[in-house]
Amino acid sequence: MLSLENVVIYRDDKPLFQLSADVAKGEVLTVMGPSGAGKSTLLQAIAGQLQAPFSVTGQIKVNHVVINDIDVHLRKVGIMFQDALLFEHMTVGENIAFAMPDKAYKNKQLKHDAINTLLVAVELDGIADRNVNTLSGGQQARVSLIRTLASEPDVVLLDEPFSKLDVALRSQIRSWTFSQLKARNMPAVLVTHDKDDALAAGGNVIEIL
Amino acid sequence: MFTHITLVARWCLLLLLCIPVLAGLVGVIFPALGYFPAIGANAFSTQVFATLFGLPDIWQMMWLSLFTGVGSTLLAVIAAFCILATFYQSSLLGKIQGVLSPFLVFPHAAAAISLLFVVSPSGIFAAITTRLNAYFSHAFTSPFVNEISEMALPAANDGTLLYDGLGLSILIALSLKELPFILLMTLSVMSQPLVKKKLTGYVKVGTALGYSPTASFFKLVLPTTFSQIKLPLLAVLVFATSNVEIPLILGPNNPSTLAVAIMHWFNHIDLSMRLLASSAAVVQVAVSAVAVLLFLGTERLVTYIGKRSLSGGNRYFADGALRASGFVIMAFYIILICAVVYTVVVYSFAKQWHFPLLLPEGLTLLHWNTAISALTTPFINTLLLGVLVSTTSLILVLFTLESEQLQPARAVASNAFSVSLFLPLLVPGVAFLYGLVWFQQLIFQNAVWFHTYVAHMVYVVPYVFLSMAVAYRKFDNRYAMVAQSLGKTPWQVFYHVKLPSLFSAIMVAWALGLAISFSQYLPTLLASGGTIPTVTTEAVASVSGSSTRLTAVYVIIQAVMPLIGFMIAWYMPVIATRKRSRQMLVSGTHSNRSANPVQ
Amino acid sequence: MLRDSALLSMKAACLRRFGKFSRLIKGLTLASAVFSSQLITASHSFAVPFDIPSVDGSIVDVSGNEIQSQPQSPVRASTALKRTSAQSPKDDTQSKPLVRFHAWGGSAQVNGYLQWVAAQVSQRFNIELQHVKLADTSDAVSRVLAEKAAGNHDNGSVDLIWINGENFAAMKKHGLLAKDWVKELDHFALTRPEKNAAMVTDFGEPTLGMEAPWGKASMVFYYRSAHMKALDITPGQTINELLRFSQKVPGRFTYPVPSDYLGISFIKYAAIALNGDKQSLFYQPVTESSLQAVLPALWAYLDQLHPTMWQQGEYMLRQASQLQRLVGTGELTLAFSFTAAEIPSAVNRFDLPDDVRTYAMQDGSLANVHFVGLTYNSKNKTAAKTVVNFLLSPEAQAEKQKLAVWGDDTVLDVTLLTKAQAMLFKEASVHRSALDKSQPMVLLAEPHASWTDKLREAWFERYGARY
Repeated sequence: MLSLENVVIYRDDKPLFQLSADVAKGEVLTVMGPSGAGKSTLLQAIAGQLQAPFSVTGQIKVNHVVINDIDVHLRKVGIMFQDALLFEHMTVGENIAFAMPDKAYKNKQLKHDAINTLLVAVELDGIADRNVNTLSGGQQARVSLIRTLASEPDVVLLDEPFSKLDVALRSQIRSWTFSQLKARNMPAVLVTHDKDDALAAGGNVIEIL
Repeated sequence: MFTHITLVARWCLLLLLCIPVLAGLVGVIFPALGYFPAIGANAFSTQVFATLFGLPDIWQMMWLSLFTGVGSTLLAVIAAFCILATFYQSSLLGKIQGVLSPFLVFPHAAAAISLLFVVSPSGIFAAITTRLNAYFSHAFTSPFVNEISEMALPAANDGTLLYDGLGLSILIALSLKELPFILLMTLSVMSQPLVKKKLTGYVKVGTALGYSPTASFFKLVLPTTFSQIKLPLLAVLVFATSNVEIPLILGPNNPSTLAVAIMHWFNHIDLSMRLLASSAAVVQVAVSAVAVLLFLGTERLVTYIGKRSLSGGNRYFADGALRASGFVIMAFYIILICAVVYTVVVYSFAKQWHFPLLLPEGLTLLHWNTAISALTTPFINTLLLGVLVSTTSLILVLFTLESEQLQPARAVASNAFSVSLFLPLLVPGVAFLYGLVWFQQLIFQNAVWFHTYVAHMVYVVPYVFLSMAVAYRKFDNRYAMVAQSLGKTPWQVFYHVKLPSLFSAIMVAWALGLAISFSQYLPTLLASGGTIPTVTTEAVASVSGSSTRLTAVYVIIQAVMPLIGFMIAWYMPVIATRKRSRQMLVSGTHSNRSANPVQ
Repeated sequence: MLRDSALLSMKAACLRRFGKFSRLIKGLTLASAVFSSQLITASHSFAVPFDIPSVDGSIVDVSGNEIQSQPQSPVRASTALKRTSAQSPKDDTQSKPLVRFHAWGGSAQVNGYLQWVAAQVSQRFNIELQHVKLADTSDAVSRVLAEKAAGNHDNGSVDLIWINGENFAAMKKHGLLAKDWVKELDHFALTRPEKNAAMVTDFGEPTLGMEAPWGKASMVFYYRSAHMKALDITPGQTINELLRFSQKVPGRFTYPVPSDYLGISFIKYAAIALNGDKQSLFYQPVTESSLQAVLPALWAYLDQLHPTMWQQGEYMLRQASQLQRLVGTGELTLAFSFTAAEIPSAVNRFDLPDDVRTYAMQDGSLANVHFVGLTYNSKNKTAAKTVVNFLLSPEAQAEKQKLAVWGDDTVLDVTLLTKAQAMLFKEASVHRSALDKSQPMVLLAEPHASWTDKLREAWFERYGARY
């Protein structure tokens, strides 16, 4: 689970907001607020990717371990943006394989099977060898989701991941995302403008101003 | 670990740029202040400067440098923007890039000589005019028949612009040479994925609001991109004010520009002229600084006026005139390039070639054989040095850029870094290189390759950095964030995500480094003491010779060599993509669509 | 000191080329030296330490230079083994001493000749000769000076340097050349230095054995005969006819700025030729009064000439080589050169049109010698001397004099050579564009060294510094 204890985000030594929250496994915490309030900055703070002029105080804990000083790539915090951000120089399968932890699978075949299993879960079986540029927006969003899941994170951060999808796709991708998170019992933080997102997430909602 | 390495790389880069230039500057400032023990000058004083400013032509020389430098840069900037405004939404843009790219890697000396070939009174344009005149006035032979029934002489003392006292020939030649650089630099900024997306959006909005394409370009696109091309523009400007080759070959000598005089004084047989040369080099730095200030002032002024016209809401921006000049400039380039290519290629194979005939009397391989038989070692040296310099500078630059993102420096350090990066571009090479040789003699006097390597790095690194930084800083960092959040170490992110994504930009930077290393004359000659002959040192030596034909051969070789690098740069990403898509076709049974080429 | 440098800035520099030409000493004509006839038998092939086993053999056995392209001639192979008896022949390359010859690289002919020399010395003496091609000889002078300033006294990067005139004077002044080594060369005697002061005097400076003579030249004029026909005019045969030519057909003649060796040579020629009654003044150190005595005629002449020249004299060429280029493209009709042989060879290489003709002025041609210097901090002095001795060998000098190769006149006194050696210097046929050597030629010795700077300074003061 994720706990934020007295987390304060600063911009140039000026505090933007303070926040304390617990997100249990399988739950989604939704953070809402106007543009520029620092929603995305909060996610970056949790992911450990805060850039100047922002800074953070307070404790960020994952599974009761303070991660404030842990290197970004060791935090096991997955992050997703409104763009799928698939690596264009890799195929769909390579994107997912790239995300999988080293030595998680004994051989190539097992890895290949695991990738297919993930793809099947989002109804994309058989596209592992496709170039990512050939995918539709909805397909890319789904690949992006399973790529994050493939890295087996302890926490998932969602930075307006549905905002670029059209309405029809949005609810579908949304339910996919939340059900996958739930199925894996992962705590998640969702940043969004959209009240429907918050409703679909079903967890606590925090509004920052 | 990787973070530490990148930090070390950053320091290496900083030292590599600063030490030679600062050492070289010390080697210039001391003599400028009258201290040069080698010739028995031991006392510091400002007397040398007094002597310099006592010269009758000194102000005229400074003015020429300033006028040609600033004038050519402004002209080139305006012309480049005209072309961009006319063509940036057009399908011709790719072709224009193709036409102008070779100019980018064409060494200045070679460019000046080619211009001299075609615009002189015996050049191809004069020959065509003479033939046409003769045809229309006497109707004696068709201009296409390769014989003349009566002797026609090239015009004597006619009004060609060559060697004019105002420096207009220098100004035009410099802007011709700079325009492609500015254009391509701007395009490379505009074609960065994020910028491109933004600009396309802007233009759509502009069009929707009823702004004409040129108006959208000048009011929306240009203001957004200008800040990113400003530094390269300043480098161009400084280079233009202190360039030696073009004023030397095309400019006046009564008097010449300051840079030419500096070189003249440095090479003067009377070694005490070194003092004067050094003080002039210091003045040259000041002239370049004034040029930069003037340029920045102009920018302010244009921004101020532009801001007012922005809210004025005029939907047009001299559309007709701009489009016309865009087309005219492009037509001019194409004609010029055709003329140069024709003249140079034909000269390189020509036997006797009488004015005003358009063809020589016969063809021979003599000139090529002469050049090639002398070029094996220089060619290998050039390649070895170029690849070594370009590759290491690329690695250093990439690590440095990465360290900027991994461990952002504080503002002061970052400013110091930018300044040191531009140091080699801000200090006229003709000045600090002589001082550098003096220092290199003090330490490791036998490490000739090392010294030459360092002298090349000083010039190559800034350009590789400039070329790479735009792409690197504009790289959508969220990719890196995603990769890191997937549990990848900084090295893995760098190696597996950034390098492949930036592959084509990296290859272009590498090719640029190669081209710049190829074109170095003074650094190679001075640092190696002439013991490492390169194609360029041989070519410049041949230019000081008397054979037009041999010079033509060298011009071609000089033009083609850097192109090889760019060919590799352009085709490698394409090949990589093809290979990838082929692999996919082989293994991917479900892939029924062929992959789109990666942008 | 600093005041001086202001004045010096007004002086010209032999910027471009190597300052190839020096003055002959007062009153001496080349002809007398060449035709004096004291016979010394060539004993050089027996001399140590220079081992030239193949010189005589090749001349006798095979005609021309073909034999030099046959590296495996048995004689040569055996001497190579003898010389390096301790090593196997394959190790030759590793122990090869390197000699770096810094020489102006702007002429394909000179470069080609030096390639031939490099092949020869590699084969004969196992020396690697590297021609460092300079655009400007003063680059190499600066380098040696920088080495000296940095305390590099025995491991310099320049071994041999092609110089004369001002570059020599500068190197001599700063002690950058090895002293007194030239007399060690066997072939130096063949220049007959005891009779021929031009071989040991460079711009009036005694060479003190710091440099060995390499070649010599005199100033000749050349023109486009087709142009002359089209313009219906003949080229001038004297300095005053030259002016009348330029006035009739303006823009068809120019001369390089006096910082170029050919430019200052033209000024010297004009000054001497225009002051026929005062010629003796030029062969004494210049004084203010002698300068003022000769200048009025010169200025009167140049004031008239300049506006009629190419570019109205407003722009003048910086380099002599550009003069030939402009005649080649047809922009100029009349020009001049210090190397008569370069004209037919340029025609053969198509750099000059075939209607070019060469002639010598009737009121005299300036003449001088160029040299090879050895730097004081050369690492391989012995090998460098071996190379210079080879450059002075009849074989190498004859090769150099061939029109097809370079066409630079030999410094050897042909009367001292064996018959076989002398035969090497005979040209097979005469080129249409070449100077007719059967015609008598009036040679003008270079003025005393002190005149060069004074004339140049005065010119710059009157017509601008022209950097």
